[in-house]
Amino acid sequence: MDARLEQLIKDARSDGSCALRAAARLMSIMTNQPQRLGELLAGSRDWPQPRLVLGVTGAPGSGKSTITDHLAAEFRDHFPERKLGIVAVDPSSPFTGGALLGDRVRMMRHASDPHVFIRSLASRGHLGGLALGARGVVRVMGLIGCDTVIVETVGVGQSEVEIAQNADLVVVVLAPGQGDSVQMLKAGLLEAADLFVVNKSDREGADLLHQQLLSMLQRQRLARLDLASTPGEPMTCGGPMLTGPQGIVDERATPAVRVALDNETPPVFRCSAIKHEGVAELMMELKGLTDRHAVDWQNRRKGQTIEEIRLAVLEEVRRRVSDRLAPGRKGYEELERATEGNRSMAALVDELLYEAAAAGRGLQSSGC
Amino acid sequence: MNAAVKPRILIGKPGLDGHDRGAKYVAQILRDAGFEVIYTGIRRSPEQIVDTAVQEDVAAIGLSLLSGAHLALFTRVLELLHDRGADDIVVFGGGTIPPKDIPRLKEMGVAEVFTPGTPARQIVAAIDDCLLHHSVM
Repeated sequence: MDARLEQLIKDARSDGSCALRAAARLMSIMTNQPQRLGELLAGSRDWPQPRLVLGVTGAPGSGKSTITDHLAAEFRDHFPERKLGIVAVDPSSPFTGGALLGDRVRMMRHASDPHVFIRSLASRGHLGGLALGARGVVRVMGLIGCDTVIVETVGVGQSEVEIAQNADLVVVVLAPGQGDSVQMLKAGLLEAADLFVVNKSDREGADLLHQQLLSMLQRQRLARLDLASTPGEPMTCGGPMLTGPQGIVDERATPAVRVALDNETPPVFRCSAIKHEGVAELMMELKGLTDRHAVDWQNRRKGQTIEEIRLAVLEEVRRRVSDRLAPGRKGYEELERATEGNRSMAALVDELLYEAAAAGRGLQSSGC
Repeated sequence: MNAAVKPRILIGKPGLDGHDRGAKYVAQILRDAGFEVIYTGIRRSPEQIVDTAVQEDVAAIGLSLLSGAHLALFTRVLELLHDRGADDIVVFGGGTIPPKDIPRLKEMGVAEVFTPGTPARQIVAAIDDCLLHHSVM
């Protein structure tokens, strides 16, 4: 590792006035230089890690930033001595590459709290709901002593579930008005949840959404038990069905803040983040889960490092190849020849990879 | 060094006035010019702005002021940047700032001041120019 990087790491861990600056710089290296990931990972092996990396995901406007802000407030109330990190990802424009990172607007009350470090990231064309280097940023937050890190994804649609491999727990935030019960049947986002939040519970349609979600979970639970049972043998339901006062059948009952069908089904929280309702209950659930599982999570993260390097390798290949295909470059002319049928695609790919490899040889000694 | 990474810029409004049309417009211009803009919203303290700028590792801070308190607020922001070892962050501003105060602001260390009516292209070009020698990690 180069001397400058070592100095930044030393500064970030110190109590000095430049500690925050150094940490922020390290985060920039993590997001801007994926080609150095191997070196950075080796250098960060003994860094302290957060106990909990919490993913917060959901559709645009469902209230992810507001939930994050209120969870942060609740966290600071409960654990005045502990540090919290927040990574907030917003989309980059696929047209200009620019980005407007506005998640912070909801979190400004934490801006000058020395126990909270917030970093906004632009997705930069990365499609899984996160940004390349997001894990590296989380790692730097561990380095500076964050006990918990909340990673808020871009507003996602149905299939951006990369957060599931990058967090210990995933909260999926839903808000009323986003579709009927068939949406609940679709694969993807809803499968990534460890916990659900039905947000904006003060709004019209929240009860219906709550019921649709619970009925989806009930169906999912039955399907799981059914698939696990041996044909010919009676199926065990492994617990009571949800038909009681807290449930989905009795529509007159006031829905509980927390409903869980069983231990393997994600619990559902009804929240109104803006009114700070249901957030304390969510926080206590997260605390309980962290106390029980923090050690398992530490071990699981080691396996995730391989995935991180895989992504960095793919990104470097993509970057080198797309450089060669930009208008004005030789590769672009080859593309034109291919459209005319004068160039075999297989040969073109071979050649691009060969040239990309040659370009890499000049990179190895580059610093920052 | 990666040439594809454009610098990050913070756009915010310090002080008490809440007219954010200008700030939002400049944020939009810069976004469309390919910058990553961190927008902090209205009524921020200089401390909030500087702490945010440090955490976000921005290359520049752009502040919009319509309240008349520009001298005091810019002074404070520049002081805080100095205290945090972040003097290299470029500071620019805009809004209803009387022409007579502009030389004073520049003397203090404000790189550019864009008054109402400045064409978007001029703003982008001036910021590009200010950041030309700023290293992006």
